[in-house]
Amino acid sequence: MSTKLKIKIAVLVAVAAASMACMAGLLFTLQSNLSIDSYTQEMRQEAAALPDLLATADESATQNTETHDAIFQSKAASVAFMANNNAGFEAADAKMVEYKDLLGVDNVLVVSRDGAVVAKAQDTKANFTYSRFNELRTVFDGGAASLPVEVELPEQDWLMRYYAARIDDNTMVVIEQHPAELRELIAETGSTASALKHITIGEQGFMFAVSAKDYLIEYHPDTRLVGADALEAGIDVAALEDGAFSEITLSGERLYAGVTKIDDTYYVAAVPEGDLAATRNITVGVILFIFFAVMTVVIMYGIFVMREDERRGHDPADFRAVGPLRYNKTIGRKAAVFSFVGFIAILGVSFYMQTLFALSSESVANDERAAEVEETIQRATDRMDALTNQYSERYLSKARVAGYVLDHNPGLANREDLQRLADVLQIQYVYVLDATGALTATNSSYANFTLSEDPADQSFEFRKLLQGVDSVVQKPQTDEISGELRQYIGVSLHDDKGTVNGLVQIGIRPTRLESMLESVQIGSVLDGVKAGADGFAFAVNKADKTFAYFPDERLAGKPVLEHGMTEGQLKDGYCDYLTIDGATYYASAVETGDYYLFVAGTEGELMAERVPLTLATGGVAAVCLVVIFFLLAFDVRKREGATAAAAAAVDAGVASADASASTDAASAGASGEEEDSRMFDVTMPSGRTAKTESAASRWIAKSFKWHEKTAEQKTATIVKWLVAVSVVAVCVAVVFQDRIFGSSSIFSYILGGEWERGLNVFAITACIMFICVALTAVAVLRKVLGLLASVLGARGETVCRLLGSFIKYATIIGMVYYCLMLVGVDTTTLLASAGILSIAISFGAKELVADILSGLFIIFEGEFRVGDIIMVGDWRGTVVEIGVRTTKVEDGAQNIKVIRNSDISNVINMTKETSYAFCDVGIEYGESLERVENILAEELPNIRKRLPAIIDGPFYKGVVALGDNSVSIRILVQCSEKDRIQLERDLKREMKLLFDKHDISIPFPQVVINEPTEFKKATYAEKLSADRFNEEQKAAAKKLGNEDEDEEGKR
Amino acid sequence: MAKARWGRRAVWALAAVALTCALAALAGCAGGSGAPAASGEGTLRVGVRSDVVGFGYLNKDTNKHYGLEIDLAEELARRLGYADVEFVDVLPETRKDMLLNGEVDCLVACYSVSESRQKNFDFSPVYYEDRSVIMVEDSSLITSLDGLKGRTFGTMSGSNTAPQLVIKLTEAGFTNGEALEANADNSDVRFDTFHLVQVPSYQELSDRLEEGSIDAACMDASLANTFNDFDRSLLDFQIDTQSYAVATQKGSALSQPVAEAVQVMLDDGTVARLIDKWN
Repeated sequence: MSTKLKIKIAVLVAVAAASMACMAGLLFTLQSNLSIDSYTQEMRQEAAALPDLLATADESATQNTETHDAIFQSKAASVAFMANNNAGFEAADAKMVEYKDLLGVDNVLVVSRDGAVVAKAQDTKANFTYSRFNELRTVFDGGAASLPVEVELPEQDWLMRYYAARIDDNTMVVIEQHPAELRELIAETGSTASALKHITIGEQGFMFAVSAKDYLIEYHPDTRLVGADALEAGIDVAALEDGAFSEITLSGERLYAGVTKIDDTYYVAAVPEGDLAATRNITVGVILFIFFAVMTVVIMYGIFVMREDERRGHDPADFRAVGPLRYNKTIGRKAAVFSFVGFIAILGVSFYMQTLFALSSESVANDERAAEVEETIQRATDRMDALTNQYSERYLSKARVAGYVLDHNPGLANREDLQRLADVLQIQYVYVLDATGALTATNSSYANFTLSEDPADQSFEFRKLLQGVDSVVQKPQTDEISGELRQYIGVSLHDDKGTVNGLVQIGIRPTRLESMLESVQIGSVLDGVKAGADGFAFAVNKADKTFAYFPDERLAGKPVLEHGMTEGQLKDGYCDYLTIDGATYYASAVETGDYYLFVAGTEGELMAERVPLTLATGGVAAVCLVVIFFLLAFDVRKREGATAAAAAAVDAGVASADASASTDAASAGASGEEEDSRMFDVTMPSGRTAKTESAASRWIAKSFKWHEKTAEQKTATIVKWLVAVSVVAVCVAVVFQDRIFGSSSIFSYILGGEWERGLNVFAITACIMFICVALTAVAVLRKVLGLLASVLGARGETVCRLLGSFIKYATIIGMVYYCLMLVGVDTTTLLASAGILSIAISFGAKELVADILSGLFIIFEGEFRVGDIIMVGDWRGTVVEIGVRTTKVEDGAQNIKVIRNSDISNVINMTKETSYAFCDVGIEYGESLERVENILAEELPNIRKRLPAIIDGPFYKGVVALGDNSVSIRILVQCSEKDRIQLERDLKREMKLLFDKHDISIPFPQVVINEPTEFKKATYAEKLSADRFNEEQKAAAKKLGNEDEDEEGKR
Repeated sequence: MAKARWGRRAVWALAAVALTCALAALAGCAGGSGAPAASGEGTLRVGVRSDVVGFGYLNKDTNKHYGLEIDLAEELARRLGYADVEFVDVLPETRKDMLLNGEVDCLVACYSVSESRQKNFDFSPVYYEDRSVIMVEDSSLITSLDGLKGRTFGTMSGSNTAPQLVIKLTEAGFTNGEALEANADNSDVRFDTFHLVQVPSYQELSDRLEEGSIDAACMDASLANTFNDFDRSLLDFQIDTQSYAVATQKGSALSQPVAEAVQVMLDDGTVARLIDKWN
């Protein structure tokens, strides 16, 4: 290899490396920036919406707290009511315990104005003398229930809320209650968490909150992180600034984060980089690989050609001067073609990967969101049940208090006192009924009422209270008249001796429960759902296939099928495009009890950016390829004025290169004497000369030696290796997907098979993956068989080859079948219809199908290629074209025979570099063989000179036959197949001339002509005697030998 | 829509830039840069707090300090030409002795300038001004200083706040400033109109306020911020400003350079930037 070539190779490699780096940089930057831009936009939007969201949450928290506090204030007030209404109150510890159980609270105390505890159900940690509890003392001023006081000291295990109600001027009742229920409620509906948990940024992003006071994480979707120190978890404090966007690390996870500061909290919108980066890296990796492959192929091809060129010596015809440069035509053309095809491939792969990247991200996100919504609905339903029970219990407690009060002071059963009791208990109506079930007193205007005796009536159930049942809690029911939710609870009343003498019933309108019920309606659950920038959720009613909820309210209740959706889209796990009223969305579905829930979004930023991204990739690729092309195809022309010495030196170099090339050739020739060269030129139908491989060498499992290969073959080998590497890489990735990629990567998504069957990017990718795995497996299996074949006998090798062939076809059929299944073709019906199809085929299109199948097999089996010389039947010619139905073969007279593929059988493929032509000549037995051989020895070299088509020979091959009339000798020449026929004729001519010249006679059949003789006629007597003789003979011989006549008849 | 268009334009622009870069790279460009490494020798031992979030806080998991004063100390050491900084945790009650004994070279530990302290130590220019405030529980219904008559004040022992509080309260005519009764370690002092309790940590101060055994907690505003949850308030009464400065031994060789370095950092905005960072 010359220094010049080495330098050129080094430059090419450097350029390739630079291009790769450039492309990698571009792709990473573009992909990341694109994501980051859209995330930043989205984060800004979310941040802008945050104050409202937090205000709503705050409001909800305030409301919930008020509702909760009202309940306990009412409890405190009811104790005070009992104290003031002669209902058995006394300031004693035992009584407090009784109240504690009755009210279902943690502690009940009677506290004097200065803070001294007069009576208590149990000990308290609170010291009411401290000014800390001044708030409770406000009851002495206004008389109304006080605001609660909450003490929270986790170290002392002290978290209590205190409620007070005034008994008299000097004492108050204090209820101590652990606010667990309140905390839970607020956490669910009114906390930062409840506001933030529905926020999503992109697919995987979320929002978390960090206190600006102590940098503790107040909310994070991962509950383990809540309460952790944000700075300890890895966030740089500099990142925590209002309006800052930066990359942060949180407990080992890289996040892209945007910070908003509201009050004393940093709200951090964050997108994890890990998952997305994994997907992005695959995308970028695949595009880079293709880019690398294309460059490698182009560059390697150029290098191979240049090396060959250098070994052979330059052919000036290959070059054309262009200014100071010279253009290498041999390389240029092919390099241009390779580059162009490669460029198209890069564009295609880039676009494909971008699509896959975008859609899989979106699918994964939509699926996740849909699952979340489903979970939310489930949780809401559970929550509603829990809440119904909780409220029932709470109202029962109120009813019990009413019962307790009335048991102790039946005199309160009058309208005014009952109204006061209802106010204290914060209920709407109190009904007191006697032992017969007739209403005796109530605060409602509805005064004339008796419990029904009809079991079908609502009030019948309360009769149980008169028969020994302690309490009855009815489920909340919708009032038929007002449409409001109402609930009735009753407890029995007792006389002094404890026997049942009536009942008290309370009527409540559970507004809180009502609003909760509303909040778990499908609409309100889906209303807040967001998926990405513009995603939303909607639901389809299973029963009547109408929109149960849609953000555009005009669609609610309309049948979905009339608005663009199809039956096939209404199923669990649907994930594909769908159209509603002309708008196309990308959606995922889950099935719940009553609904199909859809999470839908428009195609999104990523999809929109595919084209510019692909073009950018293509642009860079084009620039790189053009540069490489110029480096390959152009050469600096030596200046005219270059010194002779330099020229001489170059010449010497070329000469020595030539010398070495010729020795190479010689050695190659030496080895070539034993067997034909396996590669040689053929003339293609287009007139172009191309390399081909001899027919015999195609089926021997022996690879070429590297140096035997042509530049094209070497390039093909490299392509093969690149393909093999990528196939194996995909296979490995598929097999070990769980270890290499996360659960939300493209691979997992595609292999999970959650996508919709059909002709979409996922199905195609799954096909590619499956094919890669199958090919790898088959390649390994065939390799093993090959190894086995090499050690087994002839029979073993036969079996192995057969098995190998079987595996190949089985795999192809399997792959086609599986891939059809993946793209959504129903293969069972396909198989069934194949039966019907075959009947149709057997009648009409049989021939056509047979032709097509034969054509496929010709190509699969590689029986012959374009440019091969073949013999089909007795037609010999060059293959011009192999079509799906016919093959065109051109004979020596430029006649084209169009042969139907199904008629091509018993092909003799005569494609080889050298064929031979021979000529057998007969010599008279009398002629001296030695003399003839001497003449041949002398004359054969002359024949070669006269016939330039002869590659080698003529050779005298000895005596072929001792014939009837002659001794046949054979003369053989080596020639190319296309010259063979003509050469045989030429040889015969030469031999005839030669024999004539040397008076060697060629025997030929001779006919001897004789004089004709005169024949005599028979006499009449002779005729008669002959007839008689005949008859006699027949009679004598009887039937003997008559069977012969049959034979004759047969003949 | 506008967003999408913006995004696309950005991509085009990026693509164009990338193409240009590609061409430039192919044309062959090379460059290299190396920042001169900071040099220095010796270790500066700095006394810092380990319990004040935002100023000096020790992460017990990683054993690393962070906060305004940590950054300040590191910057200071760098400017003074030290190769390394060693952070030594100090407490309000120990920091004085540690500096006097030379266990640390300087204090950057929420140490405020006062006359008494200036007798013992040299102070750099003030890098942070903080004020002391009075925090009360909302449920105590105390909204002004007058409401605290006869009540209990709490401060952190060893801090400057207690004496300043007494002075200010006296100035405001709240008390006559005479201590009527005190226990052995001065942690519980009775004045004519109030009680002054000193507790060992800010957390305990907050806890005592929560349970009600003290009625008002006096601490620096920066700290009060940490402990001020939604049911507490700050009274509209300012005790005094606390001026944090770097303290060095009286007349030590370090005093002058430290003071100059802090002044430079104040002048060139470094301190402002750090305060903003740790706001």
